Amino acid sequence: MAVEIPKRLEDLPTSARRWVGRHVQRREDAALLTGRTEFIDDVVLPRMLHCAILRSPFAHARVVKVDTREAESLPGVVAVVTGEDALRWSHPAITAPDGWGTHCIAAQKVRYVGEPVAAVAATSRYEAEDALERITVDYDPLEVVADPFRAMEESSPLVIEEKGTNVMLQRVFTWGEVDRAFADAAHVFTEKFRWNRVGANPTETFGAVCEWDPMSLDLTVRGSIQSASHFGLGRAATFGLPSNKVNVKSHPHGGSFGGKGGTRGTDIACMLSRKAGGRPVKWIEDRMEYLVSGGSQAWDRHYIASIAVDGDGRVTGLDVKLVDDLGATGEGYGAISAAKPLAAFTGPYTIPVARYDLTLVATNKLPASPYRGMGPPPHFFVLEQLMDIAARGLDIDPAEFRRRNFIPSDRFPYTIPSGNEYDSGSYEEVLDKALDLAGYAELRRQQAAAREQGRIVGIGVASAIEPGVFDWNAYAVVGMQGTGVPEGATVSIDVLGMITVRVGFAMEGQGQYTLVSQLVADYFGVEMDAVRVVQLDTQSAPPSFGPGGSRLGVAITGAVLGACERIREKMCAVTARLMQTEPANIELRDGKFTVKGMPGAEMSVPEVAGTMLARSDLLPPDVDPRPEATHVWTAPGRAPADEEGRAKSYLTAAQAVHVVGVEIDPDTGFVEIFKYVVCDDCGTRLNPAVVEGQTEGSVAQGVGVALYEEYVYDEEAQPLTTTFMDYLIPTVNEVPAMEKVAVVTPSPFTPLGAKGCGEGAIHTTPAAVMCAVNDALVPLGVLAREVPAAPKRLWKLIRAARD
Amino acid sequence: MPEVAAARKIRLKVNGVAHEALVEPRTTLADFLRGGLALTGTHVGCEHGVCGACAVLVDGTAVRSCLMLAVQADGAELMTVEGLAESDGKLHPIQEAFVEEHGLQCGFCTPGFLIAIYELLESDPSPSEEAIRDVLGGQMCRCTGYQSILRAVHSAAAKLGAARSASATPGA
Ligand code: FES
Ligand code: FES
Repeated sequence: MAVEIPKRLEDLPTSARRWVGRHVQRREDAALLTGRTEFIDDVVLPRMLHCAILRSPFAHARVVKVDTREAESLPGVVAVVTGEDALRWSHPAITAPDGWGTHCIAAQKVRYVGEPVAAVAATSRYEAEDALERITVDYDPLEVVADPFRAMEESSPLVIEEKGTNVMLQRVFTWGEVDRAFADAAHVFTEKFRWNRVGANPTETFGAVCEWDPMSLDLTVRGSIQSASHFGLGRAATFGLPSNKVNVKSHPHGGSFGGKGGTRGTDIACMLSRKAGGRPVKWIEDRMEYLVSGGSQAWDRHYIASIAVDGDGRVTGLDVKLVDDLGATGEGYGAISAAKPLAAFTGPYTIPVARYDLTLVATNKLPASPYRGMGPPPHFFVLEQLMDIAARGLDIDPAEFRRRNFIPSDRFPYTIPSGNEYDSGSYEEVLDKALDLAGYAELRRQQAAAREQGRIVGIGVASAIEPGVFDWNAYAVVGMQGTGVPEGATVSIDVLGMITVRVGFAMEGQGQYTLVSQLVADYFGVEMDAVRVVQLDTQSAPPSFGPGGSRLGVAITGAVLGACERIREKMCAVTARLMQTEPANIELRDGKFTVKGMPGAEMSVPEVAGTMLARSDLLPPDVDPRPEATHVWTAPGRAPADEEGRAKSYLTAAQAVHVVGVEIDPDTGFVEIFKYVVCDDCGTRLNPAVVEGQTEGSVAQGVGVALYEEYVYDEEAQPLTTTFMDYLIPTVNEVPAMEKVAVVTPSPFTPLGAKGCGEGAIHTTPAAVMCAVNDALVPLGVLAREVPAAPKRLWKLIRAARD
Repeated sequence: MPEVAAARKIRLKVNGVAHEALVEPRTTLADFLRGGLALTGTHVGCEHGVCGACAVLVDGTAVRSCLMLAVQADGAELMTVEGLAESDGKLHPIQEAFVEEHGLQCGFCTPGFLIAIYELLESDPSPSEEAIRDVLGGQMCRCTGYQSILRAVHSAAAKLGAARSASATPGA
């Protein structure tokens, strides 16, 4: 049954929209604010044990011997596992690229600091940690490789010996006549850039409670899990279990941003449970474990990039060479982050040809994980610095240079050289509004005056694309398979007309339960409070991926509206029979089924539902009597990628322009952001208050990566950032006040015209802040090539320029 | 590994309710509140005193319960996030302000913010921007970017101020 999903707000069956598209308060909040939401560490199960994990202090070493006898004899200790258990019960992790996984507990050798070597389940966490101190491990240290360029040398130690190399992937993607474009260019600009490791750091670390029945081998995992279905498939593969034996229930969690990780700890807790006779085992990662060995680190990149520009200031080619240090294994799916730039390689510009020379390398660092934005943020940092360098080279104002190269509004849908299609956009309008709000001309005057006084003041204008609604085909080049990412919802109306929606994802912070209620309330003309949203585990839920790749707002809107449409059709059939007319004559509006052209001939939604469930005598024999339907939505028009990685991948392309003003203190190198303006276009805003919250939070994370955050390792691959005293998360005093304005260009391809917006500003913020920093440094004749532009780096640059 | 010291008896009041419990001296106040008293609204984000998620009031002062031992709270009066709303479920004005201003997303950091803001507004009913930033500077939030929390603090101060002047008006 094909279902027509409303494409515009006006298509909803209501004459006075009350919820969708309005600033709506979140239904999640009351429980969160009173401490009643059940996070994973709040879960207590009968007979539950607590897990603590012993981790390697070496980045690369043979594990000669692990002695757990003393630990096992301690009171309270119920089970201990080592690498031998992992070899017996599990397979190496599934990875991207394929074949770069190891076991969840190191058996023969450790490959990064923090890699698990043993674990204990005891009746309390305190006892479990005591027991770790009684485990002795003999290590035989090996030569360490901490640098990806060293790792590529013939003489380098190998992280995974069986692979015979540390190069996980080396490919050059060429889209169009790139050499010709550079040969013909009036100007070519080339620069090197370095993006240091940063990462998600949600305020709640990862946690899980695992039960693995040693007889039936049924496995149940509760956890702070971003994608329950995906996580379940991973566990099935790791343990060689049929996928229907694994049941995953995600709990509300304290943020994720792609960096929740947790697979090793989960697998370890599962094995401990099996050893402990199936008793539930809770593993809560602590912050130091998270920082050193969790899903915490992403994007460790070395770039050389060039753009070609013609005599009129149009960019005619882009060439990007990236060496990405993915750490010891491919288990964190950090490789996806290197593939995702294909979805928006040339940004918001009409650059006709491009090349991506991509090398993924293994070193003795923590395996890289995803982080909000998944890879384009560093790519856009590079592209936008090149845009500014070119604009300066041609003596064109950077805002004007971008305008000249923007994809014009009348060229959408627009296919970029790397294959993705952008759905829609109004880039010039977004730029104009941003410049207006920032008072751009006045800002430039102020900057000139400040420079007269010798102050180091800069203005950045940057634009980027946020690919929305991911598809697996976007990551085909690093070995991901499949097309389409289904999201389902079941909408049920009970005999009294009360509505329940069942979904497969947990609350994570983006207000999606509120969105579900908004949609259903407007669709059936009820109060939002009349709609209950219930989360199911993977063995009961309709197909669901959950949040990720800026998809869930769009996908769940499609799923919920699809289910509502299906119910409407059933109810129209019933109403038609009762009203003795054809279903085509019945219409739903404002919560009533009415006969077209016959005012007063109507039945309310509860009346029809009540009839369906409690008056079988009145029902036509051929009608489905359940006022309930499931719809599984997936993005239309997707297809597998071609050899060069080209595909229509992400369904939507939101766009933004940020204008940033900074002043750098020459004595400390500290950057003060005195102006921050955002204009973005993410299509229809289903709950504008939530969209703004995503933007503000994403700007904060973008400022963090641009100026403060960095995972530091020494030459022996020892992590030096192991607490929040070292890894600097921005506080209220580092995040600038922002002025915001929006443009709304609805997507022609999505439910209600919404575009993915959850990852948001982090696509643009690091680029914009760094454009401003480099604009400030122009009079000094130096360029900040490295992110974060921490005080130590800028201070050195300024000193070098002045000496 | 040193021997674990014997458990000690402590007495304390949390959210107006008296408790008596045996705790090992090494048990942190956060673990005791969450595990021993099942008051799981207090969250642990770092366990090393930086994030502020674990803040609770001890005798009226906000402390990081991950850095304090339960035995140190012997004899004290505590308030946790569970003590803010009224027993009929009516939210405290600070909580209301958080709903209205979207001062939370995942909500994991929120209990700590609420406690810190409660302490601030008790001692300084109309705080300056600087005083607010000073207090919030010790609380980390990874989701919101803080702008909505700042708005919520201003709004909560106004709500509480209005409530105070209403109750101070003779005959009101
Ligand atoms: S958990 Fe106590 S300050 Fe972070
Ligand atoms: S709301 Fe998620 S950390 Fe603050």
